[in-house]
Amino acid sequence: MANLTSEQANRLSDDFFYLSMAIADFRYAHWEALTLEENKELSEMQGALLRCGEDILAFSTTLVMDEVAESLSKISSITEEIRGSVKTLSAIQKGLNTAAAFLILGVAIVNRDTAGIGNSIKDLFETWKGPLT
Amino acid sequence: MRFCFYLFLLPFLFCFFSCVNLKTVSDFSATSLVSVNNFEQIDYTFLDHCIDRCEDEAIKKFEFQRALACSCDVYVEADSVTQVMFQAIGGYFDGLGNLAQNELTTYSTDAVVNSLTAKELGPLQIDENLAGAYSAVSNVMLRATTDLYRRRKIAAYIGEANEPMQVLLSSWQVIIRTNLKGELRIKKERLYAYYMDMKMNSTLQSDYEKGSAAGDYYRALRDIQRKEKQMDLFAEGLGEIAKGHQVLYENRNKLSVKNLAVTMLGYSGQVKVLVSEFNKLNQ
Repeated sequence: MANLTSEQANRLSDDFFYLSMAIADFRYAHWEALTLEENKELSEMQGALLRCGEDILAFSTTLVMDEVAESLSKISSITEEIRGSVKTLSAIQKGLNTAAAFLILGVAIVNRDTAGIGNSIKDLFETWKGPLT
Repeated sequence: MRFCFYLFLLPFLFCFFSCVNLKTVSDFSATSLVSVNNFEQIDYTFLDHCIDRCEDEAIKKFEFQRALACSCDVYVEADSVTQVMFQAIGGYFDGLGNLAQNELTTYSTDAVVNSLTAKELGPLQIDENLAGAYSAVSNVMLRATTDLYRRRKIAAYIGEANEPMQVLLSSWQVIIRTNLKGELRIKKERLYAYYMDMKMNSTLQSDYEKGSAAGDYYRALRDIQRKEKQMDLFAEGLGEIAKGHQVLYENRNKLSVKNLAVTMLGYSGQVKVLVSEFNKLNQ
């Protein structure tokens, strides 16, 4: 037997709802004619139908998950790729800063500035290791 | 000489057109994200409905329990589906918006210029004005190249994402408009039956009691109707987002068409109106 789709489940929920409404209207229209026992039984049936209708709506929502699983997986993987692209573009600024730090280090080496070399290496390291801006 | 002039202008023109087109995508993504985030402002979940039902039934039976025991597993599961939709669709527009925003490729070459003009450079020192000019040109070139990269990527992502996005947006719309709002329709019916039974049973005697009961009923009804309106506006917003994304998809390879920006403004504008109406309901 084929599985129930969310759309079919929603239609079922509608049927339960309208049936419950019809019972309610019947009860109120024939209130005096119904015995206490009959009225109670109909009232319970009315409540049970509403409960079924709302449970089916929640259940139908869980069925949607199976129906959109492939689409969800595609969107998640595209979103990951987009984030990767954003990261790539952010890394360019880091590259520029690193190039500048390298340049300073080069100048310090050319000038045989030992203190400058030490500081430049430290700056270069911090720039490289630092977060993407 | 004239050739060189045009060559010099080329990156500026290129950058200008890229920026305009990416702004369309960026604005649409930002507006869509605001609308999608309104999901968290909807004042009702499947679990809320289950607990309400539990309480309503206990009230009807005049039943007292130390802690109300409700079986809500399927409702919790339904909420987790809406959460997954929210995360997936929101995450996509957040990423697309980040990739399309111009700040992403606004690079600063100050550090390089400062290094080039550093006094320590000694005989290698470069004139500050010249370094600044090189920096400006290289910035424009860099911007043009990265914008071209972004445009290609964005077109490819929109192309890949459109079909699953249409499926997800439409399913989410059905969940909110039919399923969650459908729970409210049942809540209204239960409320009606509760007060009608009270009336038919002649439980209430004085005019004051009757008036109070009618007042309670209509206040509760109005609260439910406010929630229904929230859901309708949210679902309508999803529909507009889907239409806007479809237009982006159909024009993804000709993002430079000026009409696209105008068309997209219409969709973004419609979503903004719905967001504004939604927010008014929450005030």
